[in-house]
Amino acid sequence: MKPKIALLGAAHGHMYSYAAALRRLGADITGVADESEPRGREAAARLGTSWARDAQTLLASDADAVIICAENSGHAAFAEEAAQAGKHMLCEKPLADSAEGAARIVRAAREAGVKLMTAFPCRFHPAAAAMKRDAKAGVWGELLAIQGANRGTMPSGWFVDRTLSGGGAIIDHTVHVVDLMRWIMPGAEVKEVYAEKGTRMHDLAVEDCGLLVLSFDNGVIASLDPSWSRTASYPTWGDVKLELVGTAGVGRVDLFRQNLVLHEDRTMRTSWKNWGSDMDLGLVAEFIGCIREDRPPAVTGEDGQRALLVALAAYESAASGQPARVAAP
Amino acid sequence: MKIAVIGAGGMGRIHAEAHRSNLAVRLAGIVDADPAAAARLASDTGARPYPTLESLLEAEQPDVVDICLPTPLHKAYVLKAAAFGKHVICEKPLAGSIADAEEMIEACEKAGVRLFVGHVLRFFPEYAKARDVIVSEALGQIATVRTERVSAAPTGRDGWYADYAKSGGVLLDLLIHDFDWLRWTFGEIERVYARSVAAARPDHAFVSLRFASGVIGYASGSWAYPEGFATRLEVAGQGGILSLDSEEAATNRNLLRAAEAGRPSVQVPGSPLFKSPYEEELAHFVACLADGTEPVVTARDALEALRVSLAAIRSAATGEAVTLSSCEGRQGIA
Repeated sequence: MKPKIALLGAAHGHMYSYAAALRRLGADITGVADESEPRGREAAARLGTSWARDAQTLLASDADAVIICAENSGHAAFAEEAAQAGKHMLCEKPLADSAEGAARIVRAAREAGVKLMTAFPCRFHPAAAAMKRDAKAGVWGELLAIQGANRGTMPSGWFVDRTLSGGGAIIDHTVHVVDLMRWIMPGAEVKEVYAEKGTRMHDLAVEDCGLLVLSFDNGVIASLDPSWSRTASYPTWGDVKLELVGTAGVGRVDLFRQNLVLHEDRTMRTSWKNWGSDMDLGLVAEFIGCIREDRPPAVTGEDGQRALLVALAAYESAASGQPARVAAP
Repeated sequence: MKIAVIGAGGMGRIHAEAHRSNLAVRLAGIVDADPAAAARLASDTGARPYPTLESLLEAEQPDVVDICLPTPLHKAYVLKAAAFGKHVICEKPLAGSIADAEEMIEACEKAGVRLFVGHVLRFFPEYAKARDVIVSEALGQIATVRTERVSAAPTGRDGWYADYAKSGGVLLDLLIHDFDWLRWTFGEIERVYARSVAAARPDHAFVSLRFASGVIGYASGSWAYPEGFATRLEVAGQGGILSLDSEEAATNRNLLRAAEAGRPSVQVPGSPLFKSPYEEELAHFVACLADGTEPVVTARDALEALRVSLAAIRSAATGEAVTLSSCEGRQGIA
């Protein structure tokens, strides 16, 4: 049986990458729901499927599962509808734009008994998987400190509208790296966050740069640069990097290091052409796999919720000028 | 100009050899409490060894005393040199507390001698050039600056670096280099927050820095690397990104087979220059002495860099963000 997947919300560009992965994995796309007709119709046309204004039409069908790529503020409403219809869910990160939104999503999935996976694709990058294996084998000894960076270009559009996104660079980028950190230290949670934030790269109403210092409950300290600080002349979109410092040595991981370096007279630019593996394919394969094998997804809704709560604590700290405790889910 | 080097450890050797390469300088002697260490460095540099500063001052009458001792000894030697009317070059960090640093600066001012502090990073051509690019506004308004300085734990005489009450750990001994360069390049720092693993050796620390200009800074320092030494810098602004990685700037790499090379198989990358940053720095201090001009890095700058380190140390100890203006007086390492 081919899995049948409905796409709820076409706001996030990752939807196209997930759709491509679904097709490669042999899944059927049953349609795209989006309250914006132009955006919905464009997505449907590009994906060769149908558009619906609201989710109910798609949820009434025999779809097995949904992928939610609405604006962050729209995740919770879609998730509640999908869960009530008994559909499994893969939800784009951050899980929501607020702690309440994330709690609603996790609760809806739990009450309906459907699977909820947070879209943290970095876990499915082979370099991240190698890092996870190294962590499990204890190659760095006892972990003491982790330096993280996830910089990128400014995404514009709804991403910089706080009412739709919940914030700027911090909510957008913190969750990826916090998830990787939590993943390689099973059971450890961020206890406290200190953050600086600023709007210095662009003329925006949300922050475009920042710096977080995290204290985990297992004693590990961490730092994280979530800035939208890659400019137009930079050779690529951004990065995800971790430095792992332990009693036995140091590991350095750079997920997007597998590049050709291209100097191009036509554009007078130097750019990096990544030849690494497609992590979105791994992410979507896991979502389909957990449904098929009826087991919990490798990345849960709680994982998405925990990472979001760290980002929200960073905003609290940046406002107060002192470290902030991370709220319990 | 006659210069005496106090301390025949690793830094004393670097300074003595740099002075020897300067035609304007005569190396007037080496002082070390360990007679063998003093004799070895003196013999290697064509200078005479002395067991104490007093014995050297009497015999050699130097113009300048260059102090390359562990941090806790700086104050006593600077005060002694000033009392004898000698100009002073002192390794960084100037002292372990604001009060000590202020007392040393005042003592030199009162004695009418100059005080130069070895913030050598300003003399590393890559850091000087990076600053030039930034102040030229090629990157437009700056949003973030990140520095990293990582190495194996230094040993030093009697392992004094490992005693963080003496060395201040990476937040003082290592990161003060970056703090000075950051102040020089981006102006005053208002607030810091730091976390360190100093309690669980080897030391590693993260520091968040907020500048008066609004720039968001970050400094990472490590003595937890198993070997080698690397520095990294990245500055992101509205108009572009500047980055520097010492490992990528290596011009020479030897990959040696352990057995034939007669030593463990290690890679030792090099990035040679006509003149080392230490030679540039010390020659600059000597030139400032000769013509009375202000150095690129003043003793007051050294005091302010120390304030950043001490604020970071206090933040790491208390778990709270620390405003720089609140760091004064006896505020020190411990």
